[in-house]
Amino acid sequence: MSELLWAEKYRPKTLDEVINQKEIVERLKKFVAERNIPHMLFAGPPGTGKTTVAHALAHDLYGENYRQYMLELNASDERKIEVIRTKVKEFARSKVVGEVGFKIVLLDEADNMTSDAQQALRRLMELYSANTRFILTANYPSKIIEPIQSRCAVFRFTALKKEDVVPRLQYICQNENLKCRERALEVIYELSEGDMRRAINILQSAAALGEVTEEVVYKVVGLAHPREIREMIQLALAGNFLEARKKLRDLMITYGLSGLDVIKQVHREIFSSDLKIPEDLRVMIADYAGEIQFRLVEGADDEIQLNAFLARLALLGRKFKV
Amino acid sequence: MSMRNLPWIIKYRPKHIDEVVNQEEAKQKLIAWLKSWETGKPQKKAVLLHGPAGCGKTSLVEAIAKTYGYEIFEMNASDSRRKEDIERLAKTASQTSALRGKKKIILLDEVDGLDPRADMGGVEALVEVIKNTRNPIIMTANNPYREHLKPLRDLAEVIAMNRLKETDVVKVLQKICSAEKIECEQEALREIAKRSEGDLRSAINDLQAAVIDGRVTLQSVKAVSTYRDRVYAPWEALRKLFSAQYVFQAKDAVTSTDLDPEEMKTWINEHIPTWYDNPEEVWRAYEALSRADVYFGRIVKTQNWDLLSYALDMMGPGVAFARKQYKGKFVAFKMPERIRILSETKKSREYREALAEYFASRLLTSKATVKAEFIPYLRVIFTNNPKYAAAIAREYKLPEELITWLAGPRAKEVLSYLKKPVK
Repeated sequence: MSELLWAEKYRPKTLDEVINQKEIVERLKKFVAERNIPHMLFAGPPGTGKTTVAHALAHDLYGENYRQYMLELNASDERKIEVIRTKVKEFARSKVVGEVGFKIVLLDEADNMTSDAQQALRRLMELYSANTRFILTANYPSKIIEPIQSRCAVFRFTALKKEDVVPRLQYICQNENLKCRERALEVIYELSEGDMRRAINILQSAAALGEVTEEVVYKVVGLAHPREIREMIQLALAGNFLEARKKLRDLMITYGLSGLDVIKQVHREIFSSDLKIPEDLRVMIADYAGEIQFRLVEGADDEIQLNAFLARLALLGRKFKV
Repeated sequence: MSMRNLPWIIKYRPKHIDEVVNQEEAKQKLIAWLKSWETGKPQKKAVLLHGPAGCGKTSLVEAIAKTYGYEIFEMNASDSRRKEDIERLAKTASQTSALRGKKKIILLDEVDGLDPRADMGGVEALVEVIKNTRNPIIMTANNPYREHLKPLRDLAEVIAMNRLKETDVVKVLQKICSAEKIECEQEALREIAKRSEGDLRSAINDLQAAVIDGRVTLQSVKAVSTYRDRVYAPWEALRKLFSAQYVFQAKDAVTSTDLDPEEMKTWINEHIPTWYDNPEEVWRAYEALSRADVYFGRIVKTQNWDLLSYALDMMGPGVAFARKQYKGKFVAFKMPERIRILSETKKSREYREALAEYFASRLLTSKATVKAEFIPYLRVIFTNNPKYAAAIAREYKLPEELITWLAGPRAKEVLSYLKKPVK
């Protein structure tokens, strides 16, 4: 027996299968009918279908073998504009066959590109616009430079609603012959914050653990998103720097987290109501967390930066008598 | 600092030439050369005294000076790039000692520390100083045979010092033990001597670090980790750093080891909380190290090496003067745990990276998203439901080592399901 990840298995293949983002899908279907698309920017939170819709669109345009007409790049993985330039150049050079007169460059997570790289990208878009169309996806459209935005048709994807997510999860449960409590599916929706990918991942992991109940759902999410971060924060605030540092090291080994992963999760944690600390302390910690994140991005060493952060927590913890 | 808290390497420096062990030849040559100054005309105006780290070069010079009534005018050669230092040196060297004043020896420590590129003028300036000196000049070096030191070798009488023998080291250690009234296991002293590889300084430091409740045992010696082939052992540099009284000492401390700045960073990172116990000091020290680290990051990014000096400022003096109050103390600086951890996190990250690579294209997403959104759930499945995990592994043709990493303690179960024939 072999088993697909459901995120792959239940991914819509065609625009017709896409259940939400109705207005966007309608307009895209018109493009397909006209056999022409503009450059596009798909903006919206994670797990709302940006990449899926791009693939479905390409599928509808070119048919089953659409991937040969599409260059898929990911800005998070290929940060060097040089790499992107070379690949686009090569891809654009080859002739277009078939009835559609252009090929598609899908550049995922384009908001991870520096503005310099985006400037270079803009020139690429102009240079090859005769036979290529660019589809960019981004979580934050504001991080895409204006000249690119103005060259693109911008589509805003919104977080999925409960009415979209729960029925879809129910459909999956039926298809997989699973017992799923309605309440459990609602909890999945709440925990995934309108992110379909995450909702499906939680569902599949819960199913692997047994019957999908509220309890199991919470357990899965707890396992996947470690609490150690909170424990580390609490240890540091209690003045136990050495133990906190040990925890940090464990986290980085067990979960393979990078310094950035850790500080981002810390940032989420400090505003969690489960962490009982004074409100003004939250703000002070957030401020220093931001500074540390900035230093990490500047190319500094993960552990040293986070140790500085933990040492700061130990000091603040004492001042605030946490 | 009272005599009691003095590092033993200072406390037990030889005070008389007779106390210097196992360097007869060097001693004789040096004394003869010094006598030739007193009788008027030395053949060579400088001596280049060389030998491995910790064999007692500086101690020998100090002992000779004490024995024959000289005053030492000391300069670290690596400082001599500064124009005013050279001028000061030249002036001191060219003046004969005052009639009633003490005779002078000019000691230039670590001339092999002169950077051939950065201190282009350094060697030449020293050559001039030697030509014009009216006082004996002694230079020390670990390695006198570096290319750019040739002009100095030509001008000076080159005197070699021996690496100390284990038995000599043991003898010195024994003397210290009885002076300190410490109970020392003979085999412990031999172990220290063996590890020191003739480096008496590190041996004495090891001895002091290994004292537990007035005793030195083989076990306590083995607990004190030692690094060799260094100008200063890392923990020695740390001690220099944390107990620095002046900025220059702190800066020296971080540059006087053979550790590269990356390694030095790791040692300091490990031991800030070993040395400091007040939370404010801990944070101030980490903040300084963190700033140093940012400079290093910028240097790597921009290749702007001018920034190195700032990085070292923060890493050395920044960390040393994080203290609110100076406290002399003696702590053992062990090998950073992080060196082990780094290799483990590295492995862990490599596995995650490989997994991300595996899944990214199938799942139409970035490696970053695979890492953040899929791997945590895969781990849940792999560590909780081996049979189901095996089915996923089969579908995605995951290699065994990635399965092993994902499933952790349940890897065997997953793999055995995977090996069962598919019906």
